[in-house]
Amino acid sequence: MTLESTATDPAATSAASSATTPQQPRPARYVGRPVQRVEDPRLLSGQGRYIDDVALPGMLHAAFVRSPHAHARIVGIDATEALAVEGVVAVYTGKDLDWLAPMVSAGPMREGVLAQSRSPLAVEVARHVGDPVAVVLARSPYLAEDGRDLVDVEWEPLTPVLDPFAALHPDSPLVDEALGTNNISHLEQSAGDVDTAFAEADHVTRIRFHSGRSTAAPIECRGVVAEYEDRAGGRFNVYSSTQMPHLLRMLIAPVLGVSQGQLSVKAPDVGGAFGLKCTVFPEDIVVPAVARMSGRPVKWIEDRWEDLAAGVHSKDMHCSMEIAATADGTMTAFRGHFVTDSGAYSSIPFTPLVDSQVAGVYLSSCYGVQNVAYSIDNPLTNKCQIGAVRGVGWVPGQLAREVAIDQLARSLGKDPVELRLQNMIGPEVYTTPFGQTYDGGSYAAALEKARDAVDYPAFRQRQAQARADGRYLGVGFSPFVEPTGWGTASAAAGGLPNGFFDTASVTVEPDGSVTVTTGLHSHGQGHETTLAQVTADELGVAMDSVRIVFGDTDSSVFGMGTYASRSAVLGFGSIQESAVQVRDRLVRLAAAMLEADDADIELVDGVAAVKGVPGKTVPLQQIALFGYFGGPARPEDVQRDGLTATSGYNPGETYANGCAAAVVEVDVRTGLVSIEQLAAVEDCGVVLNPIIVKGQVAGALANGIGVALLEDLAYEDNGEFVSGSLMHYLYPSTTEVPDLTLHSIETPSAVSVGGVKGVGEAGTISAPAAIVNAVMDALSPFGIVIEKTPMTPEYIRGLVRAAEAAATGPARS
Amino acid sequence: METKQGTVAVTLTVNGEKRVGVAEPRMLLSDFLRHGLGMTGTHVGCEQGVCGACTVLIDGQPGRSCLAFAVQVEGATVDTVEGMAEPGELSDVQQAFRAEHGLQCGFCTPGFLASTQALLEQNPDPTDDEIREYLSGNVCRCTGYQGIIAAVRRVATERKAASHDA
Ligand code: FES
Ligand code: FES
Repeated sequence: MTLESTATDPAATSAASSATTPQQPRPARYVGRPVQRVEDPRLLSGQGRYIDDVALPGMLHAAFVRSPHAHARIVGIDATEALAVEGVVAVYTGKDLDWLAPMVSAGPMREGVLAQSRSPLAVEVARHVGDPVAVVLARSPYLAEDGRDLVDVEWEPLTPVLDPFAALHPDSPLVDEALGTNNISHLEQSAGDVDTAFAEADHVTRIRFHSGRSTAAPIECRGVVAEYEDRAGGRFNVYSSTQMPHLLRMLIAPVLGVSQGQLSVKAPDVGGAFGLKCTVFPEDIVVPAVARMSGRPVKWIEDRWEDLAAGVHSKDMHCSMEIAATADGTMTAFRGHFVTDSGAYSSIPFTPLVDSQVAGVYLSSCYGVQNVAYSIDNPLTNKCQIGAVRGVGWVPGQLAREVAIDQLARSLGKDPVELRLQNMIGPEVYTTPFGQTYDGGSYAAALEKARDAVDYPAFRQRQAQARADGRYLGVGFSPFVEPTGWGTASAAAGGLPNGFFDTASVTVEPDGSVTVTTGLHSHGQGHETTLAQVTADELGVAMDSVRIVFGDTDSSVFGMGTYASRSAVLGFGSIQESAVQVRDRLVRLAAAMLEADDADIELVDGVAAVKGVPGKTVPLQQIALFGYFGGPARPEDVQRDGLTATSGYNPGETYANGCAAAVVEVDVRTGLVSIEQLAAVEDCGVVLNPIIVKGQVAGALANGIGVALLEDLAYEDNGEFVSGSLMHYLYPSTTEVPDLTLHSIETPSAVSVGGVKGVGEAGTISAPAAIVNAVMDALSPFGIVIEKTPMTPEYIRGLVRAAEAAATGPARS
Repeated sequence: METKQGTVAVTLTVNGEKRVGVAEPRMLLSDFLRHGLGMTGTHVGCEQGVCGACTVLIDGQPGRSCLAFAVQVEGATVDTVEGMAEPGELSDVQQAFRAEHGLQCGFCTPGFLASTQALLEQNPDPTDDEIREYLSGNVCRCTGYQGIIAAVRRVATERKAASHDA
C-alpha cells in the first residue's frame, strides 16, 4: 500500500474563508496522529464479546422456518412432529404472534413513499425465499434446527413477480395486495431547463446500466438475544448486533407493545455491519416476543444462508442515463431514470429509496451541470428486501454517470480525464442544482492526483504497446462527492426531511479519569480510539485516561447510531460541545486552587499550570476532587452540575470527495479481469487518525472490487435463490485485492467542528465505476459496451465472443 | 450443549491445558470450543468452510473448526487465539496486526492470526505473493487486506532481524 498525503492550506480555499463555524484552535496532541487503536488488545486476544458470545441463564435457542418459495400462500402449518423432538420446547407461527403490532416501513421518513405494513412472521403469504413463517425454540441450537426441519408447512405456490419492469405493468400480479400496486414510490425531480438543454445539445449520450444485486455479508452474521423480566410492569432486554441501539429501541418497542422505557437495547461488539445492521429485521421483534411468551431468554444466531437470502440486498438498480453536451464537450444536462428492484418488503427505516433516490438526488456530483433531472421507481418483487449497504445508491448512480461520461468522451474523441476536468466545479463552497451546499473540496485536484498516481501518459504508451502484443490493458477514472456527517441539513438536502443529530455526555470523574457516553456505535471504525483522541485534546488530558461508552441504551445518551459515514463529524462535534463546558469548569477550579486568573490557566496532559509561572501546577486528579467535594469555595455552577456536561451536535452539510483510478488487464480468452493497480485519492477533511482513515478507504475499495467483479445475489427464473453460500456469493480475497495506492488531500470542512468530513463509504462508491471504465477502455478495440456489474468472466467472455462474431460473421463478409 | 443423540466425552489439549467436555457426535469443533468449553475467541462466520474465521491450529496445522466434529479430534492439541500470548500481553503476530491496522471489527482476526502463525512456521520469509496465496482462504470484509499483509511482512522482517542479532 502506498501512502501519501497533502494538507491544503485552509486559507487557500474560499471554502475556509466563508466558514460559518470558525476553526477552533486546539492543542492537537492526538487528533491527526496515527494513534494505535484502543480496542485492539481486546479484539486480538479473543476477548471481544460479540452477539454469539452472549449467554443468559436458562436460555433457549431459536431456529426460523422459512419459505422455500418466492411467493406462496401458507395453507397450514403443522408442528406436531417438531414438538415431539425431545428438547424442542415450543413452536410459534405468525398467528401465535397476533398480539404484536405490525412492522411498518417508515413512510414518514420520506414523502412520496407508500407505507407498507407486515407481520414479523408471515401469516397468509410468504413473499420471498427465506421469508420467516414460524420459529422453533429448543434447548440447543442443534435441537432447534432438528425441530425446524420437522415443521410441516403446506404451501400453495403463487406466481412470483421477479422482473422489476414487469412488476411496474398495471396487469402484474401484486407482491403485496394491500398496497394495490407494486410501485411503492415514483418520484421525479428536476432543476434548470433539462428539456431545452437536450433539445439544443450538439451531442447526446445515452446508456443503460444494471448495477447488480450485492450485499454487506459481514463476516459476523446477525443475532438477537432477548429476555423479558416480569417486573416493574414488564421489561425487555434485547441484545442485538445493531449499528443503532437507540433507533432500534425506538422502532421495535411499539411493535412489542411496550414503551421505550420498558425496553433496553444492548449492542455488544459487532463483527462488521456496513449498513446492513442499521435495518430493523423481523427477528429483532420475534426473538423478544417469544422470550416473553415462553418465559425464557431466547437466543437466535443467523446462519450464512439466512444472511444471504433474508437479510438485506442492495444496489440492484436498472439505470438509464443521458448526457447533453456541446460540441466542445461542455456537459449541459444530466437526466437519469433509476429503477430499484426493491424486493418484497420496504426496508425499515430507510426503505429502498436509500438506493434509488440517492442515485438521483446527487446526480450532478462534482460537475457544474446546471440542468439535472431524475425519476425513480421502486417496484416490489418477490426477492429479498433492498436496504442500506455501504455506498447505497451512490454506487449505481456513480456507475451510470461515470460510465456515460466515458462514453461521451469516446464519442467526442476527447480524453476522459480532460473532459471531466473541463466540466468540474471549483474548490470553493458550491450549491448544486438540487440545493445541496458542498463545504468545499478538492474536486479537480483529486482527479489530477489520481491521474498522476497511475502515471497516465506512460500508461497510454504501455497500453498501445500491449495491444500490439495482443494484451488488453485499460484505465478508468471515477471522481466522486459523498455526503458524510448526516445531520438534519444534509439529510434534508438528500431527501430525508426529518432530524438527525447526536449527543455526547462528558464526565470528569472525581479521580480525574474521563468517561464519555455517546449514542453512536462502533463496529470496526475504532471509535474507542478516535473519540478518545478528540476528548483528550479538548480536555487537555492523556488519552489513556478517557473511556468511551456506547452500545447500550441504558448507559448511553440518546443518539442516532453509526451509518452513512456520519460518526467522525457527529462524534467530534458533540464531544467538543460538551468537553468545552467541562474544560471551562476545570479551568475555573484550577484558577481558584492556584490563585491565578482563569485566562492564565493551561490544561495539558492532565495538569493545570499557570502560564509563565514554572512549577505552579495542580494535577487534574486534585482539581476533580476539589470540583466534587470542595464545598462552597467552588463556582456555583460546579456545585450544581459537577463535572458532567451533555450536549448535542447538528452539523451543517459536509461532503467528502475524492477519485478512484483503476488499471486493469482483461484476458479476452477467459474473460478474466485482473486489477493491476487501484489508486484512490480521498479528501475527508481534517483526518482524526490517518491509520483508521486508510483502513476505512482500503476496506471500502475492496468492497468496490467485489461489486465490480464478483458479488452477485442470483435468483433463478422461478424465483429460487441460488447464492446462499460463500461458495456462490464471492468475496474479494487477498488474491483479488491488489496492493492499493492510497493518497489523501485534506480540505477542512467549511462548516463542521474541527473541519472533519467523514469517511467510510468512499471507496465503495468510486471503485466500481473506475473498474468498469477501465475494462471498457481495455476492450475498446472490440467496441464493447459494458452494461452491468458484476463483470464476471462469463459476461466478459460473452461480450468478446459476440464482438468477434460480429467482426468476422456473415454480416461483415 | 444439549443434543438428542448420545453424547461422548471429548478430551483435548487446548492451549496447553487438558480439557474434557461432552459432545454429541455431530457437534462441530467450533461449537465445542465456543459453547462447550466457553472459549469464544474462535469465531464462526459461515459454517460452510469458506470464510476461515473459525481457523484454529489442530496439532500445529491450521484447520477450520467448523468443518471438523469435536469427536474427530479426540486427543488432539488445539491452539486458539486465547493461547497466543500470556495474559495481558500480545504475541509478535498480534502486535504486528495492531501496528499495521490489520483489524477493524476483529471478527475475522482470530482466524487470520492462526493462519499467519502457521504460514510463518512453514515459510519464515514469504514474498507478498506467497502471503496473499496462503491467506486467500481467510476472508476479511473490513480491512481490504492491506494492513493484514503488512502485518505478516512486519513479523517476518522482525523475526529475521532478531535472529540475525542473536
Ligand atoms: S466458519 Fe468455518 S470457514 Fe467460515
Ligand atoms: S476485521 Fe472485520 S472482518 Fe476482518
